[in-house]
Amino acid sequence: MDLLISSLSLGLLWSIMAIGVYLTFRILDIADMTAEGSFPLGAAVTARQIVAGVNPWLATLSDLLAGCLAGFVSGFLHTKLKIPALLTGILTLTGLYSVNLLIMGQSNISLLGRVSTVITQLSGLSPTFAAILIGALVLAVVIFLLVTFFNTEIGLAARAVGDNEQMSAANGINADNMKIIIYMISNGLIALAGSLMAQINGYADSSMGIGTIVIALAAIIIAEVLVQNLSFGWRLITIIGGAIIYRLIIALVLQWGVDPNNLRLFYALMLTVFLAAPLLQQRFAQQRRRQKNMASFKEEQHD
Amino acid sequence: MTNQALEIKRLHQYFNRGTSNERHILRGLDLTLDSGEFVAVIGGNGAGKSTLMNSIAGNLPVDEGQILINQEDVTYESVAQRARLIGRVFQDPQMGTAPLLTVEENLSLAMLRGQRRKILTPGVKRRQRAFLQEKLALLNLGLEDRLGAEIGLLSGGQRQAITLLMATLQNPAILLLDEHTAALDPETSQIVMNLTAKLVAEQHLTTLMITHNMAAALQFGNRLIMLDHGKIAVDIRGAEKEKLTVPDLLALFKQRSGQELTDDAMLLS
Repeated sequence: MDLLISSLSLGLLWSIMAIGVYLTFRILDIADMTAEGSFPLGAAVTARQIVAGVNPWLATLSDLLAGCLAGFVSGFLHTKLKIPALLTGILTLTGLYSVNLLIMGQSNISLLGRVSTVITQLSGLSPTFAAILIGALVLAVVIFLLVTFFNTEIGLAARAVGDNEQMSAANGINADNMKIIIYMISNGLIALAGSLMAQINGYADSSMGIGTIVIALAAIIIAEVLVQNLSFGWRLITIIGGAIIYRLIIALVLQWGVDPNNLRLFYALMLTVFLAAPLLQQRFAQQRRRQKNMASFKEEQHD
Repeated sequence: MTNQALEIKRLHQYFNRGTSNERHILRGLDLTLDSGEFVAVIGGNGAGKSTLMNSIAGNLPVDEGQILINQEDVTYESVAQRARLIGRVFQDPQMGTAPLLTVEENLSLAMLRGQRRKILTPGVKRRQRAFLQEKLALLNLGLEDRLGAEIGLLSGGQRQAITLLMATLQNPAILLLDEHTAALDPETSQIVMNLTAKLVAEQHLTTLMITHNMAAALQFGNRLIMLDHGKIAVDIRGAEKEKLTVPDLLALFKQRSGQELTDDAMLLS
């Protein structure tokens, strides 16, 4: 039961970040590495402010802006300077590593003790339940806003850019600007997830972003493999399920006694399996069809 | 006559300029389209038809020359910037629509061509639905009941008809048709072509249509241009064009360019 509840609380948090990654990954078809930098950026910005005594809700909101800024940098590099998307992400992420250290002043800030975080604000609840409550609340707001936005005039244009860039240009849509907007929203959400993670874990660390993109993609792929062909809003909701399932698998693996130091190797292996699964499934089905086809010819020969 | 929808002055376009593979595609092409003209453009492979189309639409940066649409200089405007003046249908039916968006969403996108898109206004407007359905009904393809269908699920002909509708919804200053029926089967091709003629006539659209089909070039439009080696070799309009036959056209081409023009459609008819 404990395992389920802790997976739920961490899964909810991961799904905020996975939804952010989903925007660039599925709308723009870009695996944006900036995520690995904007996640600790959110944590750093929040931690620094919380330690300084800023209202934790305000601190949490401000990292959204910091994430948007990181997204803007990547979006700008990719669209206006035409740097390939993967390289763009790596550039921003590398730069952010220093930025994060600069913001924090050290590689690690503890948020334990007497500081006030969004978790301690909900003092009537146990930290885990407070985390679940906040995660669920944030997700509800985020999904509502995203679905609303992607149905506005600008949001529709942004989706069109991802779907068919040539068509969108012919209809007067500035593709670069739309891509930058998606980059910004995406990284804003990832930073928000980083901020909440720091407050729940009780510390911000400059290396906490490693593995962000792999975790997020795994959650997305689990959701897509389990439920296919969904509208945008439903897809976002299933990503929550994907993230929780993924977290549960990892919790089980840890319980079986896998060394936490090997965890990232496990993340990578799992995502490889998930990414290859649809292809393997297809190959298997094709093989079966071929065998059936050949069998029908063998029967013909006997006739 | 100041009512010129399109004016192209001394347009030169090169491929691989400055290298040993340099090819001079358009060689000082001059072309003026009066408002309401429907021009069919023919020419052999490499004559510069597509280069001309892409130069007007903004997909190819202009090397030398000037392009004015409705007397506005658009020479250095991007595709998206000049889209306010241009409606375009591509050869590939996949190209003109966004496959994951619904029919209604695609049409709604086209409704905003040339306007500033807002963040607080819904992209699909309920009050426009009846209007869009009415427009779709004109296509006679039963699409008025399929507003919510993803475009990717429709056939090539249906998609091309919708693209045509999208290109003309906002009354463009110039309509560009880039062999827009070439990828369709003969029957669908005929439907889309007739639809084109109807929309162009109803809205008095200035139209530039590239085609490989000589019969179509003669049947549709009130002016015919033949490109050869990046220049206009033949320019016939009005009553003179009405009298023209396919053999006339082939003879004319041979005379002007010293080459045989092959017409796939001719062989079939």
